[in-house]
Amino acid sequence: MITTEFEPTPAQDGYQVKLQIFEGPLDLLLFLIKKKKINIHNIPIAVITREYLEYLSHKERINLDREAEFLLMAALLIYIKSQMLLPREQPIEPDVDPRKELVDRIVDYQKIKAACSVLREKEDEMSQIWKRTALTAPFPEEDLDLIEVSLFDLAESFFTLMKRKQSESQRIIKGKEISMAEKTNEIVVVLKERGFLDFLEYLDAQETLEEALIAFFCLLELIKARLVVAIQEQLFHTIKVWLRKDA
Amino acid sequence: MMENLREIIEALIFISVEPLTTAKMKEVLTDVPEPDIEQAVRELVTRYESSNGAIRIIQTAGGYVFSTRPVYDPYVRRLLQIERKKKLSVQALETLSAVAYHQPVTQAEISAIRGVDSTYSLHTLLENKLIKIVGRKEAPGRPLVYRTTEKFLTYFGLNSIEDLPSEEELKKLMEEENT
Repeated sequence: MITTEFEPTPAQDGYQVKLQIFEGPLDLLLFLIKKKKINIHNIPIAVITREYLEYLSHKERINLDREAEFLLMAALLIYIKSQMLLPREQPIEPDVDPRKELVDRIVDYQKIKAACSVLREKEDEMSQIWKRTALTAPFPEEDLDLIEVSLFDLAESFFTLMKRKQSESQRIIKGKEISMAEKTNEIVVVLKERGFLDFLEYLDAQETLEEALIAFFCLLELIKARLVVAIQEQLFHTIKVWLRKDA
Repeated sequence: MMENLREIIEALIFISVEPLTTAKMKEVLTDVPEPDIEQAVRELVTRYESSNGAIRIIQTAGGYVFSTRPVYDPYVRRLLQIERKKKLSVQALETLSAVAYHQPVTQAEISAIRGVDSTYSLHTLLENKLIKIVGRKEAPGRPLVYRTTEKFLTYFGLNSIEDLPSEEELKKLMEEENT
């Protein structure tokens, strides 16, 4: 669940304000508990349910696919409240407290959230140090830790390149006409000679935008025909194109 | 102890792209007693740590590997033409923590912990090789069981899964946050 937002405030300048982003119903509950400074082991169900429903009512509609979990939690809260309203002869004992299961889940979830913040810090630290794996590796073995990239990775790379190219000063030269067949041949020749090519470098080296575009389409065609394979040796690294061994 | 043991180990770590474990070192240095190797490694790590050089040796996923110091990050990125390293999304990170703390674990269990369907996040993590499928659970539907990978350890610079903050540490963190 990515965005669960309050209705956009109709500000004068037409800004849409995203007030809070919650990962799910537990995230929202945790937020409300903190906001109301509630003791997690003695949650006033009435208060929290009201707050929770209030939050849901801010949403214009509920997308059942993505937000059914929020409704499920609302139902659970109301159920717990009804359980607590039942007349009892003796005060509620801790282990039959109808809130117990939910509290356990929230506490568990809170732990995961805490672990997340630790891991995020570590991720930040690690993102600033580099190991030699960052260097280009020799021809990949079959069982190496390789990531075959999706069309979206390729397209994203391509668009980054195009953006970069846009800012470069442009010379317009009446381009030579180039066909996809020619370009495909050229790519295959390069691949046969060198074994691989760096996806971005290759496109970057094209003389004109048009040629780069054609080269991009050729590569897509080659990938589709399963003649070449596009691989990222490591996550977030440059994409390389290899001839398929069996092709 | 062999006179140049430290230097030999230095060479071994240098040519290893993946973290080099002491077990691997022992395979190479068959006639050197284990405590000697371990001491040499410690000395080597300290030597790099105490120098002002750009390189140090870090311990990760049970092995040793050369790495640059954080200050040089901007220059390395310029060399490799990487604008910035991508970070895991909030959902992916939350799912990953849940797997790390509850492994071996199924999709349904993760979704219950998070209160949100986690199929997609698990798929992303699998693709990024931060988790792996280790089998099926003997339960209705025989659901797949997930675990974190070695890449998970190196990604976060952890030496082993025990390096994750303990229950007590998490509790402390939670209390700090609550006050």
